[in-house]
Amino acid sequence: MAKSAQTRRGRPARRPHRHSKSHCLKILRRLSEFLDDELPGTLCREIRKHLGACPRCEVFLTSLRQTITLCRQSPTRPLSAAARTSLRRKILQLTSAH
Amino acid sequence: MATARRHDGAPKDTADHSLRAFDRLYREHVDRMFRLAQRLCGHADDARDLVQETFLNAYRSFNQFRGDAQVSTWLYTIASRACLRMRRKRKGEPARELSLDEFIPTSEGELRLQIPIQGLSPEEALEKKQLKRALNAAIQKLPPKYRLVLVLRDMEGLSAKEVGDIVGLNERAVKSRLHRARLFVRKELSARGVPVEDHPKSSAASRSRGPGEVPA
Repeated sequence: MAKSAQTRRGRPARRPHRHSKSHCLKILRRLSEFLDDELPGTLCREIRKHLGACPRCEVFLTSLRQTITLCRQSPTRPLSAAARTSLRRKILQLTSAH
Repeated sequence: MATARRHDGAPKDTADHSLRAFDRLYREHVDRMFRLAQRLCGHADDARDLVQETFLNAYRSFNQFRGDAQVSTWLYTIASRACLRMRRKRKGEPARELSLDEFIPTSEGELRLQIPIQGLSPEEALEKKQLKRALNAAIQKLPPKYRLVLVLRDMEGLSAKEVGDIVGLNERAVKSRLHRARLFVRKELSARGVPVEDHPKSSAASRSRGPGEVPA
């Protein structure tokens, strides 16, 4: 049986994905700028509107956002005191030998 | 009284002054440069080589630094050039361009690929060795010029303008490279499907979902 446009509680069902794929691709090309808040307001609104109607792009956006967050929070090891001293010594040795 | 001279002919007090100034520069920036080097090189040994090369070059051109840019920006520039030079010397690989089209998903399944962190926060996810390794591998797999932009912008937190000054690009070109680099890392991470099943939160979350389902 075909699904009704209304749920049993009377809320409107999520709209089906009716726009063209090229529209999704156009949006995906700008997602980094969207996430970095670097787009003009009109374009931001257009993208938000698209994301609200397109679960696939919403999922893509989430994964791109997670990628950026992982990069930002990726930890590094500190330089040990011994390595700091030996590096300095080596640099000065190389400089004076030059 | 005649001023003592070094073997290279520079007055001794000038040399001492330079050495003191260099020492200060080294103390203040070595940790930041080591962090950058780890992100660019992926291995601690290579990172130490890059830090050494960076400060060696900085020492050699120290007297020419006029203070037009911030010291950190100057050091980032030296490190970036040294890194690209070292990679070219070691690998001899031609610079590869990343086309945006290769990352734009072409099927429903690919579009829905998820980063395998299964309901964890990024902080929790990064406690997992496998994910950390996968992220590092993805970043290291990036062609050097894209990796440089991603590391400087997303990992070191510099602005697009600062990154452009360091790598010699305009902001538009920086943003374009950054987007490609992010898409590349996203695709690599998504394709790996790193399991995080030993984390209590993720186990609970995965039990309540089917294998192909994604967290809300």
